[in-house]
Parts: sequence; structure tokens; C-alpha cells
Amino acid sequence: MEALALDILTTAAILFVVSTGLMIILGVMKLINFAHGAFLTTGGYIAYLVGAAGLNPWLAVPAAAVLGFLAGLVIERTIIRPLYHRPLDAILATWGLGIVIGQVFALTFGRGVQFAPSPILGTIDVFGNEYSGYRLAMLAVAIVLAVALSALLSFTRFGLNARAVIANEPLARGLGIDSANVRSITFGLGAGLACAAGALITPLLSVDPNMGLPWLVNSFMLVMISGVSFPSLLVASLLLGGSQVLVSTYISPILGGMTIVVLAALILRLKPKGFSRA
Amino acid sequence: MSYTHRAALIGCLSGLAIIAVAPLFLDVYLTNILIRTLFVAAVVMTVDILWGYTGVLTFGQSAFFGIGAYACGLIFTHYGFGPGWALAALAVALGTAAIVAAAVGWLAFFHGSSPLYSSIITLALPIVLTQIIYSGGSFTGSSSGLSGFPTYYWDLKVWFWIAGGFLVLTTTAGWLLVRSDFGRVLIAIRENEERSAYLGIPVSRIKTMLMVFAGMVASVAGFGYAAFSNVVAPEMAGFQLGTELLIWTALGGRATLLGPVFAAIGIDTISSWLSGAMPFVWKLLTGVAFVLVIVLLPRGLAPLIGALWRKLRPKRVQKIHAIRLSPAPAGRMLHASFGDAPPLCLSQVSRRYGSLQVLRDVNLDAHGTELLGIIGPNGAGKTTLMRCISDGNERTGGAVRVNNVEIARGSPQDIVGLGVGRSFQNTNLFDTLTVGECLQLARYRIDGAKLFDRRETVSLPHPALDILKTTGLDKMLAEETRNLSHGMKRGLELAMVLATEPSVLLLDEPTAGLTRPERMAIGAVLTRLTQEFGLCIMLIEHDLDFVRAICNRVVVLHQGAILMEGTVEEVVASDLVKAAYTGLQKEAVA
Repeated sequence: MEALALDILTTAAILFVVSTGLMIILGVMKLINFAHGAFLTTGGYIAYLVGAAGLNPWLAVPAAAVLGFLAGLVIERTIIRPLYHRPLDAILATWGLGIVIGQVFALTFGRGVQFAPSPILGTIDVFGNEYSGYRLAMLAVAIVLAVALSALLSFTRFGLNARAVIANEPLARGLGIDSANVRSITFGLGAGLACAAGALITPLLSVDPNMGLPWLVNSFMLVMISGVSFPSLLVASLLLGGSQVLVSTYISPILGGMTIVVLAALILRLKPKGFSRA
Repeated sequence: MSYTHRAALIGCLSGLAIIAVAPLFLDVYLTNILIRTLFVAAVVMTVDILWGYTGVLTFGQSAFFGIGAYACGLIFTHYGFGPGWALAALAVALGTAAIVAAAVGWLAFFHGSSPLYSSIITLALPIVLTQIIYSGGSFTGSSSGLSGFPTYYWDLKVWFWIAGGFLVLTTTAGWLLVRSDFGRVLIAIRENEERSAYLGIPVSRIKTMLMVFAGMVASVAGFGYAAFSNVVAPEMAGFQLGTELLIWTALGGRATLLGPVFAAIGIDTISSWLSGAMPFVWKLLTGVAFVLVIVLLPRGLAPLIGALWRKLRPKRVQKIHAIRLSPAPAGRMLHASFGDAPPLCLSQVSRRYGSLQVLRDVNLDAHGTELLGIIGPNGAGKTTLMRCISDGNERTGGAVRVNNVEIARGSPQDIVGLGVGRSFQNTNLFDTLTVGECLQLARYRIDGAKLFDRRETVSLPHPALDILKTTGLDKMLAEETRNLSHGMKRGLELAMVLATEPSVLLLDEPTAGLTRPERMAIGAVLTRLTQEFGLCIMLIEHDLDFVRAICNRVVVLHQGAILMEGTVEEVVASDLVKAAYTGLQKEAVA
């Protein structure tokens, strides 16, 4: 029973960590980043490379975050900016970008599965259950990330500008906020978060050129039903991630794989705004 | 026979001729590849109708291809094989695709659903479907699929003719569809979905029906391919194929129909050739080309080729579809008998956005032959009030009755059906459609639209004809609406609303930005509408002179509640109104 509860909590934590990058881009730029999955994959390969080079596995996360941020800035400048007024086209362009990134990895590393070393090995005793230490660490990461991102939005100049752009972009521009700058930093931030998340989850799984895709779809659904709010993303991850764990445990792992998608689609049909506001 | 039909017939016959002779010149390997490609191209054609023409970005058309393929594979493997079984399997393929498409339509296209949400549902569909196939064990063959089931081992030529004939016939039907009156409706939905709904066009139902038919075509293609190749695999229903369909559509040029079909044939054939030699590089190149085309050439390659073609060919007089006006048979508008109940009756209508109360307990009756002016400072809730009358999901409390029918939670198109016509504060028309086409759209609810043909007349009620005559629009029916002056756009907007034969007319600043003579002309039309045709008109207006000239009664809204009502003189003289609304005198001058 405790093990099940821990599974639910850590699954929710992982889903939360994976979805934040997508949410921050959607929130500020009103744009669904379909390259999110490819960014996760990129983080995964960085974790693999760090491991293969014999470096400390913890290094993978900051390295992925920095590289992702820089790549995000470039991508925003070249691909996203021209499409800002064509949101559905931006979906397609980022999806195409995802294909390109995936193929580059397939060409470099082959189609096979690679593994990255885990920074925390072994298990920790929780209430008499032996539980994976790394999964528990993900719980801590999720909490730190939620607090840090909320603080970023609430207490910094960038956060204030970003919230102004979210609320009313033309007005924010009129007040002298450089919204183009806010957008490119946001995209960099989202890409950096996604890469870091990819590096974080890879020790639990493995990495291959298409690893990001299932995560893309799930985080997509979570972000859609939580609107732009980190607390409601936490709630959504817990509820839907929890249902996924329950379905996988008691019914079938394959059905568990589609629980989030199906539940989220139904929730959105009945409450188009999801968990955000009434 | 019309020009369009002749072109379609010529195109169809030459397509069939090419398909008939092509296998005589192709080697076995290429024929094999092309059979698959021709089936898939038919699916791409449906993607272009859904996305290019109607604006529904679908990632899931591959799911229907997979449904057809699995209907074939499962029945031939587990139940039986023969002409009877083949027909039964085809019926199952069609039926399942239709049911699934209808379910997707119900999920994805309700009034107020965002295009993003609809796309996500179509994205979820192939993912869910492949998971179901994976979990099917030996019944569906799980990840390795089914193969080696009995099928018709006809000559390759025969299969080529089947695939090619299917493609040519479905594409001809699609080509006629997008050029018909119904095709204009689809474009209108893409350009301005909200406006279409307020003209009484059942947007959600049309999108769902389109999804059903597109799904059925894709399902037949999948069925054919499975029967030919003798293999079904989860990838045929997968998300990967779904996005490839989109890529081909984008590269070929969305909303050109033939562009995507040829792009699919070209790219898929080259892919099959090259993917043996350099699989990853080829996919990388298509990915790069896709991103470049989306960013730099949003309309794809077809318009480039089209432009080249026009340059090389001698100029021909452009064929403009001429539309004539004709008077509509006297409808509801001319028989203003509503019994004893007033045509519009609001009780306790409230609207709040979270903690902000925009309308508070508005009680209001409006009668036939009445021109009711709604005035009030900015932010008083005037436009919100109109929104609450014309969309059942807007108000948070109270009831609205139109012609003695409770609107409940009806969508805008339902309420148009009850007899409410609404014009908008800013003129939002359909830019790429002509004046005549816009008027036909407004008549869709009453006259319908031809599926594979175009009407040459549009029948309008008398008041709409009058407006067109006064504004001179009746001479400009072939003009695209983006070329009209502001005053003409206003006139067209009003004519379109009247074309829906409303008994209650809601007008949001119908004379904003018009010159004085234009204003007076519109005023005269409105007065005539109430007096001769018995309409009930509710009008938001800032120009008090205009209100004084035409309105029988004025309602003052202030902070979401009715402050007072009476004649213009009473209202202007009221100290209460002056106190609450000091901007009134100034605005009247302005």
C-alpha cells in the first residue's frame, strides 16, 4: 500500500518535472511546443554522453539546462518568431523541428537504446519499504522546481514582465516591455527545462531517438487541463498520474499508458477550461 | 453543364486514362510502391479537405486508415474469406470508421472548443488506437500485426487500377465538393468560425459530418491497402503516419487539393526508393524541407507551380462565378405574429466573470415593431447583454425567451434558428469570399448549400435587397469583401443578418464610423423594418441624435443594471442619468 502511494507520488513528480517546460512556453507565448519531446530526448542523450565520458552523473542536469536554454534562444529567433501570428503553423514547424532533431540523433547514435548512469544508486527505506532512492529524489526535485518557478514568476523582474505579457500583450508592449525579448527568454527557459527534465528521467528509463514522444503527449494533456498555473499542474499530475499508476497496477500496463490521454480528453470535453478557474 | 463540372469530368477521365495505361510502362517494384502511395494519397486528400479547407488541423487521419486495414486483416484472419466476407469486412471498416469519427467529432467540436483542443483530440486518437492494438494479444497480433491472411492474389495491374481508380474518383468528388456552395461554407468556417455560427451555420455538426466522411474514405483506403499487401501492422494506424500525411499536405500546398495529392505521390514514392539506401538522411531532409516550407512558404509548393503555369499559358478571361439576386418567398419575417408574448423577454439575466459582476438581474421585454435603444457608458455591459441573448452559454443566471421559447444553453446557431440575428461591433466578414458568396452563406440555414454544385441565384428577403440596392452592393456581387469600403461592409453585414430572416435583430453600433447620409439611410431602413415587417430591433448606440431619430424607447445600462428606461427625452432630462453618467452629453456631441 505504501509502495503504491510512493509510486503515485513519484510518478506525479516526474510528470510535473517533464511538463513545466511545455507549460511555461504555452503560458507566455500561447504556443504549443511540439519539439518538447525532442528536447527531452536531447537531455537524455546529454545524460548518456556525460555518463559515457565518465563524469559525475549529476553534471548532466545543469549541462542539459544550459545547452537547452541556448538552443532555445536560437530556435526562437529562427523558427518561432516568424510564426507568432500563425499558432497552428507553429505547432507544425516545431513538430518538424522535432523530426529533424530525432533524425540527427538516429544518425549519430543509431536507433538503439542507450542507458545513462543514475546519480543515486540503491534504495532507501521508507515506512518499512525499500524504495528507489532516485525516484524519491525526483519528488524533491519537483517540489524545488515548483517553488523556484513560482518565485521566478512572482518575485523577479522577468516574472513581472512575463505575467504582463500573459495578461495583455499589446498593453505590456505599450508600457515599454520588450515582449519579443520576454518571448525569446521564455522559449529558452522552456527548452532548458525540457532538456534538464530529459536528463533527469533518463537514468530511470533509457534513451532512444523517439523517447520524448510519449512524454510529449502526456505533458501536453496535463498542461491543457491545468491552464497556466503551477499549482494546478501539480494537482493535475497527481490526479492523472495517480490514475495512471492505479490503472497500470490493477488493470493493465498498456491501458495505463493511455489513461492520462483519455481522462484528460474527457475532462476537457466536460470542462473546457480544465482545472484552471471555474 | 457548368464550367466546373466540365473541368472535373475532363480531369477525372484523363486521370483514369493515365491510371489505365501506367502499369504497362512501370516495373514490378515501382508498381508495388505506387499502389501503396495511391491509397495513401486518397487519405492525404481528406486531410487537405479537413485542414486546408476547413481549418481542422488533424493528426489522426491515419487512425481511420488503420481501422480499415485492421477490419480487413482481422476478419480475413479470424472469421473467413470470400466475396461475402470481403463485403462484410468493408461494411465493418466503414461502420467503425464512421462511429469513431462521430465520437471524435463529439469530443473535439463543441461550440467554444479551441482549435488547439480539437487538434489534441485528433492527436490522441492514433495513440489510443495503437495502444488498443498492442493490448489485443494474438487477436490483433500486437506489435507485429497480422500477415499471411487469405486475400485476392490478383495481378499487380489489377490492384494498381483499383488503387488509382479509387484515388481519381475520390479526388474528383473532393474537388467538386470544395468548389461547391458547401465548399464556401467550409472556407467560411476556416476564416471565421464564430461569425459562421452567428449566421446560423451548424459549425460543429458540419465538422463532425466532414470528419465522418473523411474517416470513411481513409478507412476504405486502408482496407484496400491491407487486402493488397496482405499485412497489417500498428504503424498503419500510428501517429507517425498521421503527421506524415500533414507534412505532405503542407508541402504540396494546403487548400489546393491536387497539390497535396501529387506531393504525397511524389514524396512517398521517392521515400520508398531512397529509404533503403539512406533511411535517416532522407527523413532528415523531409523534416528540414517541412520546417522551411511552413516558415517561408505557408501555402506550400502548389501556388508556385500554379503561378508558373499561369505565366506560361496565354491569358484567359478569368471565370467569375456570377450570382444573381432574387426575392425570397415571404417568410417568418413578414408575418410578425408572436401571439401575446413579446418576441424577446429577459428575466433576471446576470453575467459574472469570477468575482466581477458584469450584468445584474436585467429584466427587459422588447416588442414587435419596437426599436429599442440600449445606451450607457463604456463598460456598462451593453455588448455583454447582446452576447447573453445570442449565446445560451454566456449568461450565468436568469432566463431569456425568444418568441416564447426558452433559449436554455443553446449554441449561437440554435438561437439564430429561434429568430435572433446579431451584428457585430467590428465588421468581421469573410475576407476571401465575394459579396454574393457571403450572402449565400447567410442563407445556408434556410436554403442549404449544394454539395457538388453551385447555385447561381441567392434569394433574399425584401429588406436585405433594399439595403443592397441603397448601398450599391447589388452591382458588386462578384467583389471580394476585403475590397469594400467601411460603409459597404456595414451594409453587407446588415444585409447578411437580415438574410437569416430574424424576428429579433440585435445591432451593436451599426452606424459606427459611417458618414451622416449613410447613417440616415440605415436609420430609414431600420424604421421600415419595424414598421412594415414587424421586427423587434435592439440597438446599441452612442450617437444620441441617431437614437432620438429612430428609437421608440431607450434603456440606460449602468454598471450592469438597468438604470432607467423611457423615451429619449425622458432619459436625457433625468437627473439620475446625468449623475450616474456624466459622459453622456459629451458623447452625444462627439
